[in-house]
Amino acid sequence: MSNIIAGDANATGWRSATQKFGGFLAGMVIPNIGAFIAWGLLTALFIPTGWIPNADLATLVGPMILNLLPLLIAYTGGRLVHGQRGAVIGAIAGIGVIVGTTIPMFLGAMIVGPLAAWLLKQLDKVLDPITPSGFEMLIGNFSLGILGLGSALGAYKGIGPVVTWISDRLGEMVGNLVSSHLLPLLSIIVEPAKVLFLNNAINHGVLAPLGVQQAATEGKSILFMIESNPGPGLGILVAFWLFGPKVLRGSVPGAIVIHFLGGIHEIYFPYILMRPIMIVAAILGGMTGVTTFMLLGAGLVATPSPGSIFAYFAMTPKDGYFQMITGVLLSAVVSFLVGSFLLRLSKAGSDDLEAATATSAKLKKA
Amino acid sequence: MGSSVMVAGIVRKALKKTNVHVSHSPVNQLAAENPDVVICQRGLSGRAKQAVPNVPVIAFDMFLGDPAITRVIEAVLNGTTISDE
Repeated sequence: MSNIIAGDANATGWRSATQKFGGFLAGMVIPNIGAFIAWGLLTALFIPTGWIPNADLATLVGPMILNLLPLLIAYTGGRLVHGQRGAVIGAIAGIGVIVGTTIPMFLGAMIVGPLAAWLLKQLDKVLDPITPSGFEMLIGNFSLGILGLGSALGAYKGIGPVVTWISDRLGEMVGNLVSSHLLPLLSIIVEPAKVLFLNNAINHGVLAPLGVQQAATEGKSILFMIESNPGPGLGILVAFWLFGPKVLRGSVPGAIVIHFLGGIHEIYFPYILMRPIMIVAAILGGMTGVTTFMLLGAGLVATPSPGSIFAYFAMTPKDGYFQMITGVLLSAVVSFLVGSFLLRLSKAGSDDLEAATATSAKLKKA
Repeated sequence: MGSSVMVAGIVRKALKKTNVHVSHSPVNQLAAENPDVVICQRGLSGRAKQAVPNVPVIAFDMFLGDPAITRVIEAVLNGTTISDE
């Protein structure tokens, strides 16, 4: 049994498509995580329920979440499509969706930033060949300026209201999942998708923007903890350390440090891909974590990124440590117990790292 | 996230004595890097190959101690050719 399901010989199919689209969404968010963390720390410190409440300094919180963060996303989204000019027009269009609403407009920014940049790219394609020399600056500035004006107006009056409506519905959906206690079911999708390298797409493309919306009103959100919980990965790695194939055991302690402390979850994905049945341990661990977080009312103030236990501590609100630690620990214990059981069951197999890599090399040649 | 930074760091350290430039990049921005050789986790190697079809894309499985990565490092140090055929 050495099925390497990650063996991805061609770049077609739903997984590549999802990776691509999700990677694009995540690509708008990931470069800006530092700003999210600055906002998260600011919130944790200075809001009325924070560590050192300060009404004056807390006035920074609102403008940052409502204006700065969506603008950064629109800017980055534009840059991905059309370089610096795309970034500038992305930000112009971004302000259009921002002023039209009272919620943090991440979804809107993710749409109008790249869209405006794409329009500018098409316009540039038409104008560049017919621009007389000496007029590059004039035409370049005014084409961006005029199209920017149109983008901002279109975003404000056209796209903004639509996206606000969609955001509200998505927020309600999440609210319903929470209130009907169905949130743990998300792990059934999230954990396998993570291992297929859709982790950034899910967390930064979908969950984090929704989480920020919730954190802005409630001060914290459980949505930050669904994909990023380092507990299940820890349990799985410890199970591999004690009960895994002998050739693998040596590499596991290093992997544990990199995963749990460094927050690089990718390091445990190959272990699961080598023993796909272990995904069951990840799912059950993940569900345990989400259930615990949900029942105890845990939440983080901003996205913990990378998903390290240190980032978790830094992003936990003052009254939330017990809830956070319990959920992370329980998820690790459950995935460890289930994982150990599954590893011992499948011990009869003769596969090891060499066999697995040899097979995948063969598959690649074929 | 952060796995590409980590692997790039490991390879860079191993190739410190050479003047080989080691960087990391998301798959969708790979072509802009204009690489001579790409090292990539197998889960993403198909898309990497699509992004840079004329460049050898070496797929690895494990982030730590994978023989595929070691082979690339040795090939660079010894000046032998690298191929993903």
